[in-house]
Amino acid sequence: MTSILEIEAVTKRFGGLTAVDAVSVTVPRGSIFGLIGPNGAGKTTLFNCITGMVQPNDGAIRLRDTDEPTELVGLKPEAITALSVARTFQTTRIFPNLSVLDNVRIGRHARTRATLVGAVLRTPGQRAEERRITEEALAHLAFVGIEAQADDLARSLPYGDQRRLEVARALATEPKLLLLDEPAAGMNPQETRDLMRLIERIRDSGITVLLIEHDMKVVMGVCEWIVVLDYGRKIAEGLPEAVRRDPQVIEAYLGRGAHA
Amino acid sequence: MFPQQLINGLTLGSVYALVAVGYTMVYGIIQLINFAHGEIYMIGAYLAFTAIAVLHLPFPAALLLSMASCALLGVAIDFVAYRPLRKAPRLAALITAIGMSLFLQNIAQAIWGANTRPFPFEAIPKFFYASAFSLVQVGGATVATVGEIPTEVAARPDLTIVLQISWLQVVILTVSLLLMVGLHLIVHRTRIGTAMRACAQDQMMASLVGINVNRVIGFTFALGSALGAAAGVLVGVYYNAIFPTMGYRVGVVAFAAAVLGGIGNVVGAILGGLILGLAEALGAAYISSEYRYAIAYAIMILVIVFKPSGLMGSPAAERT
Amino acid sequence: MEARRRLVLAVACAMVLVGPLLLGGYPLRVAITIMLYMVLALGLNIIPGFCGLLDLGFVGFYGIGAYTAGLLILKLGFSFWLVLPLAALNGAIWGILLGAPTLRLTGDYFAIVTFGFSEIVVLVITNWVSLTRGPMGLPGIAPPSLFGHTFNGETPYYYTIFGLVVLTVILCRRLADSRLGRAFFAIREDEVAAAHCGIPIIQTKVIAFAISASLGAVGGAFFAAWFTFISPNMFKFWESVFILCMIVLGGMGSIPGTMLGATILILLQETLRPFGVLRYVIFGVLLVLMMRFRPAGLLAVERVRGEMRPLEHERPSQARRPKPGEDQEVPS
Repeated sequence: MTSILEIEAVTKRFGGLTAVDAVSVTVPRGSIFGLIGPNGAGKTTLFNCITGMVQPNDGAIRLRDTDEPTELVGLKPEAITALSVARTFQTTRIFPNLSVLDNVRIGRHARTRATLVGAVLRTPGQRAEERRITEEALAHLAFVGIEAQADDLARSLPYGDQRRLEVARALATEPKLLLLDEPAAGMNPQETRDLMRLIERIRDSGITVLLIEHDMKVVMGVCEWIVVLDYGRKIAEGLPEAVRRDPQVIEAYLGRGAHA
Repeated sequence: MFPQQLINGLTLGSVYALVAVGYTMVYGIIQLINFAHGEIYMIGAYLAFTAIAVLHLPFPAALLLSMASCALLGVAIDFVAYRPLRKAPRLAALITAIGMSLFLQNIAQAIWGANTRPFPFEAIPKFFYASAFSLVQVGGATVATVGEIPTEVAARPDLTIVLQISWLQVVILTVSLLLMVGLHLIVHRTRIGTAMRACAQDQMMASLVGINVNRVIGFTFALGSALGAAAGVLVGVYYNAIFPTMGYRVGVVAFAAAVLGGIGNVVGAILGGLILGLAEALGAAYISSEYRYAIAYAIMILVIVFKPSGLMGSPAAERT
Repeated sequence: MEARRRLVLAVACAMVLVGPLLLGGYPLRVAITIMLYMVLALGLNIIPGFCGLLDLGFVGFYGIGAYTAGLLILKLGFSFWLVLPLAALNGAIWGILLGAPTLRLTGDYFAIVTFGFSEIVVLVITNWVSLTRGPMGLPGIAPPSLFGHTFNGETPYYYTIFGLVVLTVILCRRLADSRLGRAFFAIREDEVAAAHCGIPIIQTKVIAFAISASLGAVGGAFFAAWFTFISPNMFKFWESVFILCMIVLGGMGSIPGTMLGATILILLQETLRPFGVLRYVIFGVLLVLMMRFRPAGLLAVERVRGEMRPLEHERPSQARRPKPGEDQEVPS
C-alpha cells in the first residue's frame, strides 16, 4: 500500500513543554487512520503541525500526492490547503454569522480564481464560476445531509449539524487527506452512528481520513490502523484490536497499576 | 547642548512615563486602549488651573486636588462607559473609549474655552523658574553652580551655558520619581496591589479566590488617572500653557511609550516614556523640530510591526 | 418583492436626480456633503465592516487623495477626470505600502498603527512646505470642467458625487457577493478557519485595504475639486472618528446602514452647528450609547451581529489566559 503522509521525527516544544516528541507516523493512502491518546498527549498539536498552524521545531512532514513528495513543514495553512490537506477543529470553527451555504462556498476558495476585477465587472467567467461554486457547495451540503439548511445562519444550526457543516466546508477544498479532530465530541449516539457512516463514505470517495477521537466506539468502529500518543510520544501502533489490548495503552489511559 | 537636551528629554520623558503607566495598567487588566486617558491628563491640568485661579489654592494643594478629582473621574468613566461592556467584544469597548475621549475633550472646550491659557503667574512658586544647577564655560574653564549663576559670571561676554536645570525641572523629576515609587509600593506591597496583579494574570481565578474584580479595575483607573492628572499639571506649569487638545498628542505618545515598554508592564512603560521623551528632545534638536512628534509615531509603528511585545513584555503577551 | 425593491430604488434615484431643481444653495451643499461622506464611509466600511479590523487612519487616505488631486491640478494643470483615477491609484499604493507590513497585526495593534500613519500623513503635509505650502493650505484649485463647460455652482458637483456614490455602492455590493468578498467575511469571522479554507490572509487583507484606501482617496480628490481649498487640519484624526461614527451608527458591514449613518451624522452636524463644540460632545455620547445599547447599529445586517470577536490567540495547552468576554475552551 502506498502512503499519502509521512511524518518523520516531528518535535514541537512550547517553552519547556514538549507537546510532540519525535513522533513518526506513516499514513497509508485510502485508509481511515486513528490518532488516539489521553488529553494533552499532543494529538491536536500534531494536527496543527501538519496543517501549518504551528511549525514543528524539528522533523519532516511529507505529503505524497504526486510522485515527488512535498515537504509541508514551513508552509502556511493556505498553501497546505491548496496542496489538498483539509481539517476540522476540536471546537468547531465555522463562520457563525454567515449562511450555511456561504460557509461551504468559502471552502471553494483554493479551487477557484475570480479576482477583484471579475467581482466588480461581473465578467461571464466570474458568473460561471460563481454558479459552479454554488452548485458544488450544495452538493457537499447534500453529501453531509444538511442541504435543506443552506440558507440558515451557520450559528443557528444544532451542534451536530455545525460539525457536519465543518466537514462539508473541509470537503469543499477538495482534499486528498482529511484531518478530523474529535468529530464525535458532544454528539448523541444516533449522531455518532451517522458520523461513522459519513467518515466511511468520505474514505470510499477516495479521501484518506486521519482521525483524532476519544469515543472508542468510533475509533474501534471505523479505524483501520491506530497510533497512540502519550505525553507527546508514540507509545503504540497497530490494528484496533491489538492496540486495545496493549498494556502500555491501557496504562496510559487508566494510570499505572490499572487492569483492563 | 547635548547635556541640556538630555535633561529636557528626561523631564519630558518622566511626564510621558506618568501617563504611560495609566495606559499600561488599564490595558494589563482589561485589554482596553483607554483613549480617554489623554483627556484625563488635560482635565487634570484644567482642574489645577481652576483650583488656583478660582479657589486660590497654593500650588501643591491644587496638584493634590486635581489628582484626587481625576481619580474619581477615572472611576466614574469606567463605571459608566466601560464596565457595562466587560463581556462585549473588544472593538466595542475601544469605540466607546474613543467616544469618551471626544466627549471629554469637547466638554473641556465648552467649559474652559478653546484658547490656550497660562497658569496664573502669581500662583506658581517663584523659585520654579530659578536655576537649580548650571554648568557654564567661561574663559576655557567649566564652572558648576548650584542655584543661580553668579551675576559676575553671567555678565561675562565669553559665557557659554552648557547645561541649566531649573527648579521646575527638578520638581517635575522629583514628583514623577516619588509617584513612581509610590505606585511601585502600592502594586507590590499592598493587598489591593496584589489583587491588581492577580486580576491582570487571570481575572476568572482572581474572582474565584474572592477578589472583587470590578473594584480592582476601578482602583486601577483611579490610580492611573491620578498619575495622569499629575502629569497634566506638571506639563501645564512647565510649558505654562494649557489647552483642550493638549491631552490628545501626549496621550498618543504615552501610549506609544506603553507599547514600546511592553504593554501591561509598568516598569516598561516608565522606560518607554523616558526613551520617547529623550528621542523627542534629541530628535527636535538634531534631526528636525517640525517632525519631532513624528519620531514618537515612527518608533511606535516600528515597535508594533517588528517587536509587538515591546522591550519588557513577555512573548506570550504578543498579539500578532 | 424584488420588483418592489427595484421600484423603490428607482423612485429614490429619481428624487435624488431632480434634487438640484428643488433645492437651493445651502441644502444642495449639505446634500453634496452627505454623499461625499457616503463614499468615505462605504470605503472605510470595507475594513471594519467586511474584514473585522478597526482602521483608525482612514482620513490619511482621504488626505492623500485630496493632496494628490490638489497638487496635480494646481501644479501640472491636470484635468479633474484624469486626477480622479490617479488619486484612487495613489491611495491604493499607499494602502498597500501601509497594509503589507501591518496587516498581520490584529485588533488594537492594527488600529494604533493606522492611527499613527494618519498622524504622520498630517505631519508631512503640514511640514513639507515647499510642496504643500504647509498650514497655509492649497487655495485656488481649479474647478473641473466637462465638455468645455467649467463647473459653476453646486449642481454639477451634485451630479458628480451622486455618480460616485452609485459607483461605490455597486462596487461594495458586488464585492460583498463574490469570492473575494466572502474571503473578507471569512477573515472577519475566524482568521484561522479562513486560512484553512485556502484563503491567503495577508494578501486578501491587503487587497481590502487597497480598495478602502482608494475609495478614501477618491473622496479626497472630489473634496479638493469641490471645495477648491485644502489644508492639513481638514484631515485630522477626529475626521476618522467621525466617519467611524457613521458606520457604527448605521450598522457595521451594512451598505444601506453606512449610508444612513452618513446622512444622519451630517444632518446632525448641520443642525447642531449653532451649538458649537457641544455637537462633538453629543457625538461622543452617541458613540458611547450606541456601543452600550445597540452595538450592531441601526440597520444591522443579520450576519454581522456578533462580529468584532474578542481577540483570540493560539497558545499551548497549559496556562491559557481567559480574556473578558471570551468563551473558555481547553485545547488538548
